[in-house]
Amino acid sequence: MTWFAWRQFRTQTWITIGFLAALGVVLVVTGRSVADAYEAANVAACQGDCATAIESFLTRLRDTAGSTVYDLATPVMYLFPALIGMFWGAPLLARELEAGTHRLAWNQSVTRTRWLATKLALIGGAAAVTVGVLSWAISTWASKIDQAVGDRITMIPERGIVPIGYALFAFALGVTLGMLIGRTVPAMGATLAVYGVVVVSMEEWIRARLVAADHASNPLDTGSLDQLLIDQSGTMTVTGSANLPDAWVLTNQTVTDAGQVFTGPADPQYCGPDAAMQTCDSWVGSLGLRQELTYHPASHFWPIQWVETGILLAAAALLVGVCFWWTRRRLT
Amino acid sequence: MSSPVLVAEGLTKRYGRREALSGCTLAIPPGRVVGLVGPNGAGKTTLLHLAVGLLKPTAGRIEVLGAAPASGPEQLARVGFVAQDTPTYAGLSIADHLRFGAHTNPRWDRRLAEDRIAKLGLDPSQKAGKLSGGQRAQLGLTLAIAKRPDLLILDEPVASLDPLARREFLQGLMAFIAEHEAGVILSSHLVSDLERVCDYLVVLVASRVRVTGEVEDLLASHYRLIGARHDLIELATGVEVIEESHTDRQSTLIVRSSSPIDDPSLAVEQLTLEDLVLAYMSKTATDRLPALETTR
Repeated sequence: MTWFAWRQFRTQTWITIGFLAALGVVLVVTGRSVADAYEAANVAACQGDCATAIESFLTRLRDTAGSTVYDLATPVMYLFPALIGMFWGAPLLARELEAGTHRLAWNQSVTRTRWLATKLALIGGAAAVTVGVLSWAISTWASKIDQAVGDRITMIPERGIVPIGYALFAFALGVTLGMLIGRTVPAMGATLAVYGVVVVSMEEWIRARLVAADHASNPLDTGSLDQLLIDQSGTMTVTGSANLPDAWVLTNQTVTDAGQVFTGPADPQYCGPDAAMQTCDSWVGSLGLRQELTYHPASHFWPIQWVETGILLAAAALLVGVCFWWTRRRLT
Repeated sequence: MSSPVLVAEGLTKRYGRREALSGCTLAIPPGRVVGLVGPNGAGKTTLLHLAVGLLKPTAGRIEVLGAAPASGPEQLARVGFVAQDTPTYAGLSIADHLRFGAHTNPRWDRRLAEDRIAKLGLDPSQKAGKLSGGQRAQLGLTLAIAKRPDLLILDEPVASLDPLARREFLQGLMAFIAEHEAGVILSSHLVSDLERVCDYLVVLVASRVRVTGEVEDLLASHYRLIGARHDLIELATGVEVIEESHTDRQSTLIVRSSSPIDDPSLAVEQLTLEDLVLAYMSKTATDRLPALETTR
């Protein structure tokens, strides 16, 4: 059965190996130019304030192939699990059902359960290994840039082990939808749609809550404001600079000492159309406002990685359970 | 080994409110070549899929070779199945299919499989998707036979084949039957396909089993009676009317009777298997069924 599962999967295996090899060549070649830029900017040797060196590194990187690869890595990491779900997962059962070949396969001396288990283990394993290698290669390749930009915490689904979770989830999703829909092309479309919804939901509503965020409350520093808006009715929006390097800032609010979000009203004497900007700033500074921040520091990278991967693997396991139950009981 | 190869009791399969098979009770003796006949949509495929475990019954019970269908690898190994239109993997070669069989069946007979493909003049490296309908059917049969099953089940194996391919397929099947002591169940909506190979018949009409038995016994116990219209009304004791048709002056009945009909006022004729099956399938026969049961 293992031989046959592999035989049916042979073309995809070669395409994948070809893709990974080509990607490997691109990463090795561009990796050298990234390393050169890093070297030339002297980032490794900098003492204390490295901001200038990092800035120089990123400037040198701009307009090189390395920067293009870095930009492309994001869509690739999002798309790859979707492709696995669509091209490996969805056809796994749908194509058999569509062509009626399940009637041939399930009448050999191998139970349906073993047949399905072999296929899921083999192709699911291939999915995990492929995306694992891909994520490792890109994470390693981009590590210096990630460090310089300081935003690795916001790249959870593109780095580390989370991509493996997405790949296995998308694969199980594809298999399940293929089984329920019974036709390959609609199943591929449905897989892409559901995967998209899951990715967006995770991004928008779920990921930030997976690990308890850190909280900071500081006196508002009017010396570094991100934003100071006054509308015609005098309502103010004041946002202090978060000043949290490498962190993923979730909320950044300016509150009064009573704990209310500060909205003005603006005193026209200091913040009127005729007043100078500085007078408004120092008036805001005299109000005793505080800055309330919730954020994930860089150290939350791995805790979030583990929790998100765990959730995705649990969802994949659930879907696989449905597949086994359905092929045994319902699919006929 | 005299226990039946297939036993069904009140076997029923429903899809929503539609009954594909209702209350089917059967006991097929071993060593027979069983023809399962019935019009399209009568439930033949449903019955065969229940027998190989591709379907689960809604109600009732079915046992094949003394065990529940598809209950485990041993049971799967004992039953060979060729599904309707003989599905194969279009992108895989004949050799790949044979290797698939070899890898998934403990009793796989490699020589038999390879000899059969060679005898058919097929190139093992050819993709199954490029084969003609007849060649694909032969490949399906080869896979099922090389598994060395105790019971071979074929669902409309020749329905989509041209007459020549049909004959070649049935010849291959008969050669297998002659060489191996396996039971065979094959379905068709055409009696002519089955006439030459079957010695046991099951007629399925409108999701019910209408008649079942040895072909010989069936032929020996059915008659066509032709006579003046009023004469036939006198009949009836111990004789079951299967089908009747009337003109103004003359009536024709097809009847089942355990004893020979000895009435000088009637012309008594023997039936061919085809006539017999058609009688059971005919509209009047199906319409009569409930009435017949209540008067008996």
